[in-house]
Amino acid sequence: MAAGIDNLAQKGNYNFEFMMNNTRVVIIKSKTALAANGLPDPASVLRIFRKGVEILTGSSRPEDGLSQIFTSQDNIGIKINTIGRRAISTYPETAVTLGLWLAKTFGHEDKITIWDRTNEELKDAGYKLSTSAGSLRIFGTDSRGFGYASEPVINRSVASLFSKIQTELVEASISLALLKDHGLAGITGGMKNYFGVIHNPNKYHETNCNPYVADLFEMDLIRKKHRLTILDALRVQYHRGPSYHPQWNEKCNQMIFGFDPVAVDTVGWKIIEGLRAKKGLPSLEEENREPAYLKTAENLDLGQARLENIEIIEEEV
Amino acid sequence: MDRRKFIKSAVAGSSWLLASNHLKGVLPLQAAAARPAASGLSRVEARYYDKLPDREIKCRLCPRFCRLGDKERGFCGVRENRDGKYYTLVYGQVASYNLDPIEKKPLFHFLPGSTAFSIATAGCNVACKFCQNWEISQMRPEQVKSRYLPPDSVAEAAAKYNCPIVSYTYSEPVIFYEFMYDTSLEARRKRLRNAVISNGFINPEPLTELIKVVETIKIDLKAFNQDFYTNYVHGELKPVLESIKQIARSKVWLEIVYLVIPTLNDRPEEIRQMARWLKAEIGPEYPLHFTRFQPMYLIKNLPPTPVSTLEKLRQLAMEEGLHYVYLGNVPGHPAENTYCPNCGQMLIERYGYTIKKINMSGNKCRFCHQIIPGVWS
Repeated sequence: MAAGIDNLAQKGNYNFEFMMNNTRVVIIKSKTALAANGLPDPASVLRIFRKGVEILTGSSRPEDGLSQIFTSQDNIGIKINTIGRRAISTYPETAVTLGLWLAKTFGHEDKITIWDRTNEELKDAGYKLSTSAGSLRIFGTDSRGFGYASEPVINRSVASLFSKIQTELVEASISLALLKDHGLAGITGGMKNYFGVIHNPNKYHETNCNPYVADLFEMDLIRKKHRLTILDALRVQYHRGPSYHPQWNEKCNQMIFGFDPVAVDTVGWKIIEGLRAKKGLPSLEEENREPAYLKTAENLDLGQARLENIEIIEEEV
Repeated sequence: MDRRKFIKSAVAGSSWLLASNHLKGVLPLQAAAARPAASGLSRVEARYYDKLPDREIKCRLCPRFCRLGDKERGFCGVRENRDGKYYTLVYGQVASYNLDPIEKKPLFHFLPGSTAFSIATAGCNVACKFCQNWEISQMRPEQVKSRYLPPDSVAEAAAKYNCPIVSYTYSEPVIFYEFMYDTSLEARRKRLRNAVISNGFINPEPLTELIKVVETIKIDLKAFNQDFYTNYVHGELKPVLESIKQIARSKVWLEIVYLVIPTLNDRPEEIRQMARWLKAEIGPEYPLHFTRFQPMYLIKNLPPTPVSTLEKLRQLAMEEGLHYVYLGNVPGHPAENTYCPNCGQMLIERYGYTIKKINMSGNKCRFCHQIIPGVWS
């Protein structure tokens, strides 16, 4: 069993207070982020990650910034979303690049786990599964020895069994999801990505996924382990998401970084609204599916849902 | 069937219960061994859905009307849109099967003493906080162990074990509608009956078709107010009431169960309203079972229902004119028995799921010859 939740905040030297009160959201753009084949270019993606963490933490070196967020002792989980298969899942070129950078910085590849619900979905999204000692671990909750905890955890409207990867292995979590329009939630971003941690997300899609996204995130098993949100907006599905529809999928060449999960998703929402307006589509509000969970999350003190309270920094690499 | 044979079969029915505890996983079903599903998920096209533009679909099976994009699943967790086509993932994927006395369902006026070959898949279209089978009903199919048991194998197994009934139960059979429907046809070919144990949260069109192929449906009426359905069931009351009316209008035998949860759905006035509604809409003849709550799943902070509460509610329902009102989960209570509404004599004596004595001649009271509604042979 990994360290208890209550001990996490005391473990290591990372700057917990700094992270908790930081509503800075950093957008890093790169014209070379997508290779000619349309997939992320790992070298460019690494430059984006380094610059994003550097600015977010205010460090002179990106690796020093990482050390403000994690310690070398942390078992770091990179929660990705692979429901959309190869076309519209968190890309291996992105997640593995991040994992390798973390491993290089902290010296332990096998303390970094890239994960989602099932091995089948991971494979369909292009991942090569790995549980070998000394290398990045990439596997799903349905892997032998994991599965779901046997007793439901309850918070407000949500009652769910949690993946044992989240409860027993991961001590510090990064939400690394694609930014997408979502027919019910409005958008799917860093917060809704954690639907993949529980056994019954299908029960929480009504009423625009509200208040479920916020109620789930508020649970200690997520909130106290979550350290960083990175939204992949290299390509953005701005309409008819979360499924892949090439006619509404736009190259945006940017990634969004933040400690405040609500602020990051709020910025993501505005990016999607901008794309929709540019393409002559009605706003999410006009379609009665604005991401209401953001306001709920703000009311639960999970972060900032008002743009005027968010410090947005944009930079290009 | 004469009375002696009837009682003999009832006793035999009880003995199946003992045997059933040893059955899980060892039932030698040839078909199950022959065709395991590679992924554990079936891929059979679902019925009752509309194809929409951009590979979206709208499910019409239950009143949720889930609208889903590609790769998304409905609320039930067992029906999935794949490239604009909707599939059931649980066709033949049996997560639980057992031999149960029909009294366990409970169905008291339907072949008493019979054994039902009972099956379920993962999934449910509601999310009751007091679910007693949540470990399969609130799961997605890949999260539970299942074995492949197609319709013909289910019917074959039921016949092999001398079960005159196939029962669709435990989770919510509406969500494995296609499997249930096809199995019912196979069961009928073998002269077996079909019993559906459901929450009644289904749309009229699929229910119309289902009624044509099954013999009895038991509906769990969870409460008689929408607030309870909103807060504890995650569903709607009105469609359930419509289902009850629709079933009562058909030739399918109907029984209703009401799980009484202390402080949540046990207000006498609500029970009185429900009894009045039942009498007005479907008549006094369909059995109503008040069953005792035990703390479980997400409601562990409430005590078991006091027997005195159950007795009081039964009295209210009978005062409103319902003829057959039973108490459940109270073994040995006199209200487990069937009494003639005309002469008051005891017609069927029960202890728990066991039939102890039957005082009926065919479908009539042995004492006053009053016809007792139900399916008796």
